[in-house]
Amino acid sequence: MKLNTNQPSFSSYKRDNHLFDEIFTKNDEVKEVYKTLLNLYSEHSIQDYARLNEKAKASFFNQGITFQVYGEHETKEKIFPFDLFPRIIDHKEWSHIEKGVLQRSKALNHFLWDIYHDKKILKQGIVPLDLINSSANYLDQMQGLNPPGGIYNHISGTDLIKHSDGNYYVLEDNIRCPSGVSYVICNRTALKRALFGVFNHYQTHTVTDYAENLLEIMESVKPQGVDNPTCVVITPGIYNSAYYEHSYLAKAMGVELVEGRDLFVENDFVYMRTINGPQKVDVIYRRIDDIFMDPLEFRPDSTLGVPGLLAAYKLGNVCLVNAPGTGVADDKAIYTYMPQIIKYYLGEEPILNNVHTYHCNRPDELKYVLENIDKLVVKPVDEAGGYGISIGNKLTKAEIEKVKAVIKENPRKYIAQPIMSLSVHATYIEDSQSFEPRHVDLRTFCLLGKDKSFVLKGGLTRVALKKGNLIVNSSQGGGSKDTWVLKK
Amino acid sequence: MALNYVIKYAATNTYENFVDEALWQFLIAPLNAKSQQVISSEFKNSLHIPVEKSINGYGFETFRVHPKKRFKSIDFEAEFHVIKDQFNPFEKTSDLSIEEEISELNSLNFKVEHSAFLKSTTLTKLPVSHEIDFVYDEEVSIFENLKNLNNWIFDIFSFKTDVTDVDTDLDMILEEKQGVCQDFTHLFCAIARSYRIPTRYISGYLHQGNGYFGDSQMHAWAEAFIPGCGWVGFDPTNNLIAAENHIKVADGKDYSDCPPIKGIVYTSGKNHTKYSVEVHAQQNAQQ
Repeated sequence: MKLNTNQPSFSSYKRDNHLFDEIFTKNDEVKEVYKTLLNLYSEHSIQDYARLNEKAKASFFNQGITFQVYGEHETKEKIFPFDLFPRIIDHKEWSHIEKGVLQRSKALNHFLWDIYHDKKILKQGIVPLDLINSSANYLDQMQGLNPPGGIYNHISGTDLIKHSDGNYYVLEDNIRCPSGVSYVICNRTALKRALFGVFNHYQTHTVTDYAENLLEIMESVKPQGVDNPTCVVITPGIYNSAYYEHSYLAKAMGVELVEGRDLFVENDFVYMRTINGPQKVDVIYRRIDDIFMDPLEFRPDSTLGVPGLLAAYKLGNVCLVNAPGTGVADDKAIYTYMPQIIKYYLGEEPILNNVHTYHCNRPDELKYVLENIDKLVVKPVDEAGGYGISIGNKLTKAEIEKVKAVIKENPRKYIAQPIMSLSVHATYIEDSQSFEPRHVDLRTFCLLGKDKSFVLKGGLTRVALKKGNLIVNSSQGGGSKDTWVLKK
Repeated sequence: MALNYVIKYAATNTYENFVDEALWQFLIAPLNAKSQQVISSEFKNSLHIPVEKSINGYGFETFRVHPKKRFKSIDFEAEFHVIKDQFNPFEKTSDLSIEEEISELNSLNFKVEHSAFLKSTTLTKLPVSHEIDFVYDEEVSIFENLKNLNNWIFDIFSFKTDVTDVDTDLDMILEEKQGVCQDFTHLFCAIARSYRIPTRYISGYLHQGNGYFGDSQMHAWAEAFIPGCGWVGFDPTNNLIAAENHIKVADGKDYSDCPPIKGIVYTSGKNHTKYSVEVHAQQNAQQ
């Protein structure tokens, strides 16, 4: 079975040999796992597909599955564009990813324990002390504290790409408040509704077990002496870009969704105001950044947090998920030491590749970066959501000079990486009313608890809908696909 | 020999309009430590709100007051009895040679161990625009150098209230050459840290027996970690080595880690706060 550009739905599909195509081989052969799918698709016209696509979008909007984009002047509410063409990952490939993601998550947890306790990795000079000292996300308040179950990064979201060499590379590990898991589940629901006749031809792992696993993980890190912990999800509120997700997760776990003002601290215990009076809270999945968490300890003007929360946590009366101060390890400069971190704590070789990284705080590497900006992606080490990234081969001469000046001003703030070619996947494009290849990445979700771990068998395949665009973040106009992980 | 202190802390907050909700956290209780023993500790308020004991982010004991009724005015009163060991601060010098001290400061292990108090913070950032004419003398010990630094700050800067506030940075202090104890402490920390000496900001009380500055308010000084010796207190406001007259409450990287009071108050209109501190000593107390 081959790529057939005579078929109207694939008439605009221009395969690029420099890129890794998820569906077609270099000889235009359809890859094994996609054969059934393409056979079934060929029974339908592209108009049928377009109609289904519209319906799926409408269903997202009607369910209120939207997110907000922060702009300079205004904030917009958008639906997360959903593409009905699923990404399929076979069992063998997935098991490699799963092992690799879990390995990273465990290594990061060891790393966090170490840098908040004996700091052996710093004393041995394996990770530079400067990196930790200059990190705004390192919290001195966490020094010496033993989080319940010894867990810091209960929830992590590792972003992977497949390069033109056909190998997966990790782009970053998000361990502050990685979002996106609700879209994984919504995408599956929408896809099953629209294309059940296709879905049921495959033996795909479920993704709806995420919430129950998250709840188990939360319960596993309950404070000492608590039998049946009360868990809650705390959200900054309805204006947060991920509010839908916060509400979804609370509902799916069957726990309360609260805001800061719904909680209070008395005698170092946390309580929730309910119509039946105060109820003690034991484990909090907090979707609030560290600095907004407790106005007595961090930003005093924060109305999102709960005064006294950090003391209650430090005294072991409540567990925060993720732990405060985990952000220090999701710094993009720490990422570059992940291979060393994995070897140091686990004595294992990294299962997943890191992208080679140049540190602008090292003079010789800075020199290389400044001379080769056109071949590199330059990223600030501490911004989330694709902000502040420059991609070298897309810059004009004037822009290159500007980027150089910005880096020179504060080299510590930037790292650079070779421009990775994200793999492409067939994606329905409204303008051409056909499938075209578009760049994709994959966000995986990993949970760590006391004597328990879980990797969601699936993930969020994000797709850059603009032709040639490499940034797939939803805030930068990306969409997503359902991701099928096949059973053995 | 020991000294018996009675410390009285009083504050009154008045508001133009009713306060609907408020929460205060006080970091004013003397620390129970090796050289200072807290015998009793009492904290009251005029609204008779039960006082909660808790900790701040660094584990120091705090008092919290959380009124549940509306009010326009509230008084706070605390009284602490502390027994403080008398000692000669000059006895506490390092056994290490000058070279050994410096090589310890330069070791990675030491830098990691003390990284929290080697970092520059917003309030302890030395401005590049000002040249600092304090010179570190490599021929003498760290202790001697820190004494010189203490002396240098005391000589050049004059104590003056109401020219700086809690957010004043070093740029302004170096420009004006005046300020209060917390400003001088920040400057001491900044300069000592620039020579790789771990230094922390101390919030506490000073018994001003001999007319020292830092009288009717809480006091601030610095503690520096000297290899082979440990933490030694320096009070640049008074050009003193901290000893039995200095009663420590808490430490931090700078003032913002250990302000005596933090409050979240929901009200409109003007408010007024006044507070006072008294430290009384009784010699030769029985221990």
